Amino acid sequence: MGFIHRHRWLTPYLLLVPGLAWLAVFFVIPLGFLAHQSLEVQNPIDFSYAFRWAWHNYSDALSTYEPQLLRSFEYAAIATALALVISYPLAYWIAFRGGRWKNVLLLFIIGPFFVTYLIRTLAWETILSDNGFVVSTLKSIGILGPSDRLLATSTAVVAGITYNFLPFMALPLYVSLEQIDPRLIEAAKDLYSSSARAFLKVTLPLSLPGIFAGTLLTFIPASGDFINAQLLGTSDQYMIGNVIQSRFLELTDYPTAAALSFILMAIILLILPIYTRALGTERLTGA
Amino acid sequence: MTTATEAVSVPAARVRHSPLAFVRRHVLTVYSLLVFAYLLLPIVVVVLFSFNAPQGRFNVVWNHFTWDNWVNWDAVSGIRSAIEVSLEVAAIASIAATALGTLIALALVRYRFRGRGSTNLLIFLPMASPEIVLGASLLTLFLSLDVQLGFWTITIAHVMFCISYVVVTVKARLVSFDRHLEEAAMDLGANEWTTFRKVTLPLLAPAILSALLLCFALSIDDFVITNFNSGDTVTFPLFVWGAARVATPPQINVIGTAIFAVAISIMLVNVVIQMARTRKGTTV
Amino acid sequence: MTDNLSREEFLRRSFAIGALIAVPGLAAEVARAGGLKIPPGVDPKRLKKTLRFSNWPLYIDYDKKHHRYPSLELFTKQYGVKVDYHEDINQNETFFGKYQAQFRRKQSIGRDLIVMTDNSRFPALMVQQGWLEKIDKSVIPNIKNLLPALANPAWDPHREHSLPWQSGMTGIGYNAKYTKPVTSVDQLLFDRKLKGKVTLLDSIGDTLPVVVLSNGDDPGKIDDAAFNRALKKIEKAKKAGQIRKFTGNDYISMFPTGDVWAGLVWSGDMPQITPSTPRAKWLIPKSGGTIWTDNMLIPPGGDSYTASVYMNFYYQPKIAALVEEAIYYVCPVKGAGAEIKKIDPAAARSRLIFPTKEMLKKIYVVDPKALFNPDFQVKWQSMLGA
Repeated sequence: MGFIHRHRWLTPYLLLVPGLAWLAVFFVIPLGFLAHQSLEVQNPIDFSYAFRWAWHNYSDALSTYEPQLLRSFEYAAIATALALVISYPLAYWIAFRGGRWKNVLLLFIIGPFFVTYLIRTLAWETILSDNGFVVSTLKSIGILGPSDRLLATSTAVVAGITYNFLPFMALPLYVSLEQIDPRLIEAAKDLYSSSARAFLKVTLPLSLPGIFAGTLLTFIPASGDFINAQLLGTSDQYMIGNVIQSRFLELTDYPTAAALSFILMAIILLILPIYTRALGTERLTGA
Repeated sequence: MTTATEAVSVPAARVRHSPLAFVRRHVLTVYSLLVFAYLLLPIVVVVLFSFNAPQGRFNVVWNHFTWDNWVNWDAVSGIRSAIEVSLEVAAIASIAATALGTLIALALVRYRFRGRGSTNLLIFLPMASPEIVLGASLLTLFLSLDVQLGFWTITIAHVMFCISYVVVTVKARLVSFDRHLEEAAMDLGANEWTTFRKVTLPLLAPAILSALLLCFALSIDDFVITNFNSGDTVTFPLFVWGAARVATPPQINVIGTAIFAVAISIMLVNVVIQMARTRKGTTV
Repeated sequence: MTDNLSREEFLRRSFAIGALIAVPGLAAEVARAGGLKIPPGVDPKRLKKTLRFSNWPLYIDYDKKHHRYPSLELFTKQYGVKVDYHEDINQNETFFGKYQAQFRRKQSIGRDLIVMTDNSRFPALMVQQGWLEKIDKSVIPNIKNLLPALANPAWDPHREHSLPWQSGMTGIGYNAKYTKPVTSVDQLLFDRKLKGKVTLLDSIGDTLPVVVLSNGDDPGKIDDAAFNRALKKIEKAKKAGQIRKFTGNDYISMFPTGDVWAGLVWSGDMPQITPSTPRAKWLIPKSGGTIWTDNMLIPPGGDSYTASVYMNFYYQPKIAALVEEAIYYVCPVKGAGAEIKKIDPAAARSRLIFPTKEMLKKIYVVDPKALFNPDFQVKWQSMLGA
């Protein structure tokens, strides 16, 4: 204890080192290996790899898998928007009308999350099946044509992504809304002639941090998802995650898969500051 | 004068909007209940089908009710070891990650040091990276070093991706921590270590516990990262994935429901305790 | 008791026990030999304690009620070798991909026996690259029971690295509840009534030859022209929305829900489909279907002696019949048919296990060179969209 007391400046570093070392070894270094692999070339005969500064892996991957890349971001964006629209009123309701039962109501949002992701998605496969309740009802009220289906379409995939990432949107929204002092809203309602304007002018801007956090926490993992596309869609709906997964684990085309992984990360990291600037929040890294 | 006008105008305003406000109030409630129904729909299906006795290999069409799946929950070859592996990995990984992450959170909030920005970046990056990249890169590391894939590589991976979540959770609590209690303790003669042990840590305990539970939940549910780094070993999500191709025995639903029930119960207990505390007025 | 034992008796017994303990190998031998029936040609000392066996799921006889593998237990009873059985092969590609680094370096993958399909390129690749242990024919006298048709495959002409486990046929499966019989590939791909209700197999070795046949080309010799013709046909059907999905054997779960009405189906999957889809039927398309074989292989580091002894055990008609009766694929062991008649006459009548001569005339083996053609692979993957 005396040693540490005398060298107090050491304390933060001692606290940081174990955890940061873990991340350095098992997160940063692997990315280095992945980068190295993305520049390798594979011999198709005996599956060996050779390092060749193969930058063409990146351009090849971009051009070959452009459809899947675009599709991933398209699906993720739609799912995020849907999640926002669906969750906002819900979060609002719990935050302002929940009263004593807020935490119990939150359980309804978090609860489904505790059933294994795959099992939840498989359940959707059952629910949305051609002869199932949902499809039959939609057909009888005319939304779906007689030979239409829900499963194995992009609708099902986006719906699945939206569902599975809803808590990631709803919870940050709730946290942010819950912190708003209700008296502010009362005052706003008195100031403005309608509740709608009060909402737009006061509540919405105050909940912006929550919207920011929620959209990021939804969009980022959604863009890399592949399970929904695999179980609820077909190869026409495959996202970049499906390609990376199959290149890595099925076709063992590591260089292409590695290049695609970095491309995905790079795009996300590029979007981040642009989005941050657009929403005008600095609460990014929590520094 | 002004007060009287205010006192008169406010109730009048309320009366004017009352019918509309009534509808609006209930629309929101109805909407929320519908969303809850939507959220719970697959869960209901999962629980329901855990009682199904399917014809054939796939549990996709309702056949008839049976208790058999619950009684013989481990009748499917491999399911028992899968859930055991999942629980073990989750236990070890969550404890390790919570320990490492809490230390980092303490350093970040309580101390000044160089490299704060980079540290924050390093903590943030794993959360911003798609799971598939985390899993694949770690696999590359293990393959290059000829490390045998299995239980420990899975655990290592889980600790890695949980640390960031722990830091965020504990940090949130630390930032709003009332330091006066600690200062009071030190004024009374306690040294730093004793203060930490007897004041800080107990007060921090709920946040640490939340972080621990969060890690546990993330670990038990993880599929993508585990899939890349598991080698031969099978965790429960991996088992479900493999099973989905071949046969979906109802026991999968049984275990899924069980995990769900346990988790909900723990959280309900937590919530009830919290509600009791607030009523008694003993919140900190 | 000991009090009443005479000194001589006591000494004699101690000596005997001591002898046994002092010669541990002997004790093991005694323990094993009691009840074991190891044939004279097999050296028990060379047998490993455990045989580590990886196979496809639901590909062996299994007693659901008691969680046992009867045929494996019989093996253990006879040879004293425990079998560590893993059902972890779901796809040739993913299984190979998981262990490809070890294969390349000829390192052990923790298995003595694995099973892979010859209409994927992996068995051929592994033989070619020398990544497999040789089977020990000196302990496989029952190799004489191998069906002559399977004795000399192009990729392992003298059966030095492999022995068939089961063969299977790829044909058309359809649900009579929703559609009239689907008898041809063209009907499967272009009958508008089946739009969106058709699945094809995603592996090139399964679907390609069947479509090639429907164009009148030879699946045993697929040149560029034949390949392109077949690919064009599939893409046309895909564009028209005919094909719901390209699947592995997850099509099985799609039949009972009515999401799929017809598709390319493996013959041995029918017993898995029919319980939940009673009106499901299987047939070989008019233009022909394919036959493929799953082969037992010994991965690097696997114990060839023990694995070969198991192979010999499996090639007894009685044992093969036991396995066959449970899985309904085509049995490579001569005489198994007669054995099955004794235990399950219904199975003996099944055309899935014992295809008729007419059927055999219409099933073909896929051209192995086509599987290795990188151009084909790339085009196929891009058609699949991943």
